[in-house]
Amino acid sequence: MRTTEKSRPQVTAGIPVAKKILPSLVTGQEVVLIGIIAVLWILLGLLTPAFLTAGSILPLLVAVAPIALIGVGMTLIIITAGIDVSVGAAIMVTSVVTSQTMVATGIPLIPAVLLSVAVGALLGLVNGYLVAYGKIHAIIITFGTANLFQFIGLRFFGSSTVNGLPDTFDVFGRGEAGRTFGIPHSFAITVIVVALAWWYLRHAASGRHLFAVGGNETAARLAGIKVKPLILRTYVITGALVGLAACFLIGQGTSTLEQSVGAGRELAVIAAVVIGGTSILGGRGTVLGTLLGAILVQTVTSGVTQMGWPSQLSDFFVGVAIIAAVGTDILRERSRRKS
Amino acid sequence: MSEQITTPRIAMRGISKNYGGVRAIRQAELTVYPGTVHALVGENGAGKSTLIKILAGAEQPNTGTIAFDGEAVSIASTTDAIELGVQTVYQEPQLFPELSITENIFIGREIKRGLRVDWAAQAAQIHELLDMIGLPHHLATAPVGDLSIAQQQQVSIAKAVAGEARILILDEPSAILTDTEINVLFSIVRRLTARGVAVIYITHRLDELFEIADTVTVMRDGQTLDTYDIKDLTVTKIAELMVGGIVTEKRPERSFDGLSPTLELHQLDVGHLLHGVDLQIRPGEILGLYGLLGSGVAEIAEAVYGMKQPTGGRMVYQGKAMVNKGPAEARRRGITLVPANRSAQGVFSFQSIRFNISIGDLAKLSPVKGWINRGRERDIALDLIKRLGVKTPNENQPISAMSGGNAQKVVIARQLLSTPKLLILAEPTQGVDVGAKEEIHRLIGDLAESGTAVLVVTTDLSEVLRISDRVLVVREGRIAAEFGHDATQVDILAAASGAVPIRKEA
Repeated sequence: MRTTEKSRPQVTAGIPVAKKILPSLVTGQEVVLIGIIAVLWILLGLLTPAFLTAGSILPLLVAVAPIALIGVGMTLIIITAGIDVSVGAAIMVTSVVTSQTMVATGIPLIPAVLLSVAVGALLGLVNGYLVAYGKIHAIIITFGTANLFQFIGLRFFGSSTVNGLPDTFDVFGRGEAGRTFGIPHSFAITVIVVALAWWYLRHAASGRHLFAVGGNETAARLAGIKVKPLILRTYVITGALVGLAACFLIGQGTSTLEQSVGAGRELAVIAAVVIGGTSILGGRGTVLGTLLGAILVQTVTSGVTQMGWPSQLSDFFVGVAIIAAVGTDILRERSRRKS
Repeated sequence: MSEQITTPRIAMRGISKNYGGVRAIRQAELTVYPGTVHALVGENGAGKSTLIKILAGAEQPNTGTIAFDGEAVSIASTTDAIELGVQTVYQEPQLFPELSITENIFIGREIKRGLRVDWAAQAAQIHELLDMIGLPHHLATAPVGDLSIAQQQQVSIAKAVAGEARILILDEPSAILTDTEINVLFSIVRRLTARGVAVIYITHRLDELFEIADTVTVMRDGQTLDTYDIKDLTVTKIAELMVGGIVTEKRPERSFDGLSPTLELHQLDVGHLLHGVDLQIRPGEILGLYGLLGSGVAEIAEAVYGMKQPTGGRMVYQGKAMVNKGPAEARRRGITLVPANRSAQGVFSFQSIRFNISIGDLAKLSPVKGWINRGRERDIALDLIKRLGVKTPNENQPISAMSGGNAQKVVIARQLLSTPKLLILAEPTQGVDVGAKEEIHRLIGDLAESGTAVLVVTTDLSEVLRISDRVLVVREGRIAAEFGHDATQVDILAAASGAVPIRKEA
C-alpha cells in the first residue's frame, strides 16, 4: 500500500498520456554500430584516400544489399527464436531457375523478379511448414533443407554454369544502369524493405507478436496468439527476400552464373543479424541493427582489401565482432537472471 | 455465508477426476462468493491443483457440475474459462521478458487503429491498472525482464485482471515473495475483492491466511473437507484438518549420546537465504529437515555439499572446521548428496543401470588409474541391484526404461559404492510408488545402522516423521523448531507454516 501512495505522483494525474509510450527509437547496440562504422570509415578514408569516394562506397552498398535484404527476413526468424541456415542453398536454387528461364525465354525484368521471388517463397514455405508444424528445432530442419536445396540447385545446373545471361538485371548491378541520381537501386530497395520491416516490427500487432513468440512460446499461445502461422510467415518472407536478393546477385555478376552462387551466404547473413544486436536466444532484435551489421561486415571486408592486408584477416575481424555481440547478449541475460 | 443474499460466483459440485486408475479427486465441492478471498489448502498431492485445473479448463472432470453465477456451465478448454472470466496466475510468471509491461498486458488483444497498435490508447488504459497493482507509471514502457520477480508477479495479476477477471486463481503466489512483497500482494488482492472479484488463494503458508482469507476449504486425499470461516480457525486447527487423524509408524527410538557429531553447523548464514542456522548430526543418526518451498531448507543441504558458499558462521566436520569449495571437495570428505530433481541432476538416462551405478566411484573399479575393470563393475552392479531390490531383467537396461522408484534406487545405490560418512537425501521418494517408498526408507535405515549420518530434506510430512530420529523445521531461513521422537504431523506442519513465532536474535 505504501508503494502505491509513493508511486502515484498526483502531478501526472491530469496530464493525458505520458510522452514516452514506446521504447526508444534506436537501441544502444545501433548507436554503438553507427559509431564503429563512422570511426572505420574515417580511419579508412585517412589511410587510403580512395576509400571515401563514390567509386568505393557505392560498390560497398551494392554488396551490402543482398545480405541486408535476406537479413531482414532472418531477423524476423531469429526474433521468434528460430534460424534458417538454408538461405545460401536457397539463393542457388532461385538464381539458377531464374537465370535459366531468362536465358531460355528472355522474359523481361518484372516477370523475372516475380518468378525469382515466387521460387524463393516456395522454398521458404517448405522451411516454415516443417519448422512450425514439425516440432523439431529450426537449425535441424533448415540444415536438412539446405542439403535438399543444394541437391535441387545442382540438378538444375547440370555439371556446368549458366552462360550468356541477358542484361535484364543490370538495374541491380554495380554499373551506371544500376543507379539513379548516383544511388544504387539494390541498396535503395533494401532500405525501403528495412523501413517497412521496421514499421511492422514496431507498430503492427502481429509484428509485436513475433517478440512474444520468441520470448515465451507457451505464454504466447496461452495469450491467444496463433504461433504456428506466425512462424510459418517469417520463413516465407525470408524465402521471398532470398528470391529478390538472388536477382541482385545475378545483376552484380558477370554474364555467367557459377554454381558457387550463394555458397556461405547464410553465414554472412546470420553474422549481420547477430552483430546487429538481435538475440540468438529470441525475443529481441531490430532490422536497423541488421542493416548496420551488414554494412559493418562489408566495411571490414573492403577495408582489409583496400589496405592490402591478407583477406583472411576480415574473417578474423568478423569472428571477433560476432563473439563480442553474442557475448554481450549472454552477459545481459545473465545479469538479468541474477537480479 | 447466506446463500439467499448472494449467489455464489462459482459452485463446483461432486467433482471427481481419475488419471488412469488413480483417483486424483473425488466428490470435491467448492463454493466461492464474489468479493471474497477463498483459501484452498492441503498437503502436496491432496488434489488442490487438479481441482484448480478443472476450473481453469486445463482438465476435464469425470463427474460433477460447475455453476457460474448460478448457471450451469461446462468448461471444456482454457479459452472457455477465460471467456467466463476465470483467470489464473501461476507461480512462475508467464510473461515476455523483452516486451514492456503495457505490451505484456495487452498481448493478444491489442487496441488497434488500422493495422497499427494504438500505443496511445493502450498507454491511457494502463495507468489505472498500474495504480491498482501499485507500480509506478514510468515502468509502463520498461521491459518486463528488467523487473524483480515480485514486480513480474504484479504484472501477471494486472494482466489477469485486465482480461475482466471475475474469478482470480492465485497459485501459491507468496512462496517466492519476501514479507514486504507479500504485503503489496495482499493490498492488490483486497482492491480486487473490493471490486467484486472472487479470489481463490492457494498457499502453504497457513499463517498468512489470517490476514487475507475470508473462508478456507481444506483438501485431504483428493476430497474437500468442510469449508470454514477463517474466524473459527487457528493454524494448528488447519494443520490438524490437513493431516487428519493419521498416525505415522515410526522408527524405534535410538540414542546417540556419547557419539561425537559428524557435522555441526554453527550460526551458518547464506546470503539472505539462511540466518544463524545451528545443527548437529551424529554417526548413524537420521536427521529430518522439513520446510516449505522457499524456506531455505534446500539451501542448508546445498551449503553443506559445497554448492552454495556460506557468508557467515562455520561448519565443523568430524571435529575439524570445513570449507567446501564445491561438490568434488565435499565428496572427497565422504559427503554425498542425492538430488531432488532426479531427471535433471541424478541420472544419465541413456546409459545402463551398470553405468549409472559405477559412475559413483570409478576409482574403486580401477586397479590402475584411468582403467575400468569391467568385470568388477558388473559384479558390484549386480550385487547392489540384488541388495536394493531393483526390479530389472539385467544390469544393462537403460535407466530411462525404469519406473521412478527403481531409478531412484539406482541413484541411491550409486552412493553406497563408497559408504559415505554423511549422506544428504533431497526428496528421496518424490514421484515414487508406495512399495518402492517402503524399500527406499528401509534402505536409508540400513545405511544409518552402518554408521552413516543421514540428512533427509523433504517436504513429505509423513516421510519426515517415519524415518527421522529428530526433525528440524526450517522457516524464513531459520530453524523454527526442533522435534524429537515424539513429534506429530500437526506439530511439524504448524511450526513450518507459522504457528510458532521464530526467535529472531536481532
